[in-house]
Amino acid sequence: MSAPTGPTTGPSISELLDADVVRSIADDVWLAMVGEDEVLLPLPGPAPEHPLSAWVEVVGPWNGAVVLTCDRATAEELTRCVLRANPPEHVVDEDVEDAFGELANVLGGGVKSLLPGPSALGLPEVGPTPSAAPASDTCRVDAQWRGQSLTISVQGATPASSHTERNEVPL
Amino acid sequence: MKILVADDSRVMRQIVIRTLRQAGYDGHDVVEAENGRDALDKVGSEQPDLVLSDWNMPEMTGIECLRALRASGSDVPFGFVTSEGSDEMRSTAAAAGALFLIAKPFTPEAFDAALAPVLG
Repeated sequence: MSAPTGPTTGPSISELLDADVVRSIADDVWLAMVGEDEVLLPLPGPAPEHPLSAWVEVVGPWNGAVVLTCDRATAEELTRCVLRANPPEHVVDEDVEDAFGELANVLGGGVKSLLPGPSALGLPEVGPTPSAAPASDTCRVDAQWRGQSLTISVQGATPASSHTERNEVPL
Repeated sequence: MKILVADDSRVMRQIVIRTLRQAGYDGHDVVEAENGRDALDKVGSEQPDLVLSDWNMPEMTGIECLRALRASGSDVPFGFVTSEGSDEMRSTAAAAGALFLIAKPFTPEAFDAALAPVLG
């Protein structure tokens, strides 16, 4: 897996956006991609037993990542919704990686549009939850969807091994 | 008419095709491409009437594909469907010859507003 990487030298995320803004972006993504009747409740829940994350990196004046985390079973349920699988059917790992990654990708696009530019968005990745960033450079939204916990973390880069050069897509 | 949908995400291609139908464009042939390189090849082989392309893709990005098309003399109508809709990207897209940029998450109404002038 790769974690959000690279030094953070610019403003912290708390200076650029707040949880209400991230929640609003997520609400729009849920309505458009998960379903018209699907809502995210702004309530924290228990930590997922088998967490899975999807994320995209942001490289620019602010460096970090937008990370979506929930239980693997919740990611599979989200995938069934995104695919409009009717009747609900078994989804394979490739579907989950694709759909869950796209949710993070669209969330990341919404966040990036509010950050100072020019910034570049990486390609979505799915895997174990990346290392957390300092609380001072993290904007975290805790929510529940269909009774399951889900978090969206807009977090600054951590000094882990870098993948940004590979993923960065310039204008 | 034939529409080429380019996105490295199979799920997103499905969503784009579903949204095309919801927007009332369900009578058109749809061809899929997995990245900009594949789209570039398929514009040549499939002769689509419109290209709907993601921006951020491996192998070749959407903007690189559009620039390669225009450099080769192709004037196929081209629009972006992408998760990034900044003013900077919109102006970059327009300068390269794109007709529109639809930002994700999108609605059937957004599709119709962008596509109606092209597909009628």
